[in-house]
Amino acid sequence: MYGFTLTAFPDGKRRGIPLNSGIAHSLYHDNRIELLARWILGGIFIYASIDKIIAPDHFAKIIYGYYLFPEYSINLIAITLPYLEMVSGVAMIAGIYPRSAGIILGILLLLFSIAISINLIRGVEFDCGCFSVDEPGYLLTAKQLLVRDILLLMLSIYLVVFPGERRWCLKETGSIFKDR
Amino acid sequence: MPYKQIVNELAVLVGLSLVMAFTVNFVSPNGIALFGRWDTSKGVISPMSKNDALADGIEISDAGVIKSLFDQHNALFVDARATHLYDERHIKGAVSLPVHQFDDYIDDFFSHYTPDRLIITYCSGRECTDSHRLAQYLEDAGYEHVRIYIDGISGWEAEGYPVE
Repeated sequence: MYGFTLTAFPDGKRRGIPLNSGIAHSLYHDNRIELLARWILGGIFIYASIDKIIAPDHFAKIIYGYYLFPEYSINLIAITLPYLEMVSGVAMIAGIYPRSAGIILGILLLLFSIAISINLIRGVEFDCGCFSVDEPGYLLTAKQLLVRDILLLMLSIYLVVFPGERRWCLKETGSIFKDR
Repeated sequence: MPYKQIVNELAVLVGLSLVMAFTVNFVSPNGIALFGRWDTSKGVISPMSKNDALADGIEISDAGVIKSLFDQHNALFVDARATHLYDERHIKGAVSLPVHQFDDYIDDFFSHYTPDRLIITYCSGRECTDSHRLAQYLEDAGYEHVRIYIDGISGWEAEGYPVE
C-alpha cells in the first residue's frame, strides 16, 4: 500500500508519514545514513573548492565563460564562492549547523543547475569548472553535470529536512522544521 | 519553522566564508582584483590578477598599426596557440610557438631569432590570454622588443588581412 497518513508526533503536531513505512522509513530516519550523506556532500564540496581557491584567476575566466553574469560580479563570485563551498563542506562533515550548511549547498546546487540548464538550452559550450580549473580533458557533458547536480541537490534537501538526531555533530541544531 | 535560529546560523557560515575569502584574497600572491576587465570592447578579458602579465603599454589593438608593422616585414609574428590551430590557419608568415609547450620549443626558437628582433605575439582574440603569457615568457627569455596583437587571428581575419 502506498501513500501518506497523518500521524500524531510526540510534540502534539500531526505530520504525514509514508504508509509503506518499512525500508523507506528506516532509511529516512537512520542517522547513519544521514552521517554518510553529510560526509559525501561535505567531502565533494571541500574537494571542489580547493583548485578554485588556489587559482581564482582561472576560476574567474570559467565564470566568464558561462556568459551569464554581469561584468562587475565575476571576480566577486570567483573570490567568495569557493569559500562558501569549503566552509559549508567543513560544517557538514564536522556537524556544525548542518541544516544551514545544507541550505547553503542546496541553494548553490540549485543555482548551478539553473546556470547549466540555461547554457544547455542556449547551446553554449563551456567548461563547468566544477572540480578543477586546470584539467582541459576533464569536461563532462552539460547533461551529465545537470544530473549530478540535481542528485546532489536531493541529497542536500534530505540533510536539511532530516528529522532524527544526527550523529557526531559538534553543533547540531535540528532540521529546517524544528529546533533541537 | 525556526526562522530566527536558521538566519543566525546562515549569518555565521556565510559571514565566516566572506571574511576568509576576502582576507585570503588580499594576502595571497594568487589573489585577484575585486573587479576584473571582462568587456572585450575595452581589451583582452582579464581578472586583473596581482601577478598578471598584462601590460597595456605593449598591447596593439589598432588595425592600421598592426598592418603597417606587417607590411614593413621587420616584425616576427608569433602564434601562441596550439600547433593544430596554427596549422589550420595563421597570420601569413607567422611562426608557431605554443605557449603550453614553451619549454619544448624555446631553444629552437632562440637559435633562429635574435633577442633584438621585434616580436608580435597573438592568439585567438580578446577572450584568450595566451599571447600575453607568451609575451611574458619571451621577455623573461631575453627578448627585448615584444608586443601583443590583442585581436588575434579572429581580428586579423575580420580585417581581411592575409592568412595562410
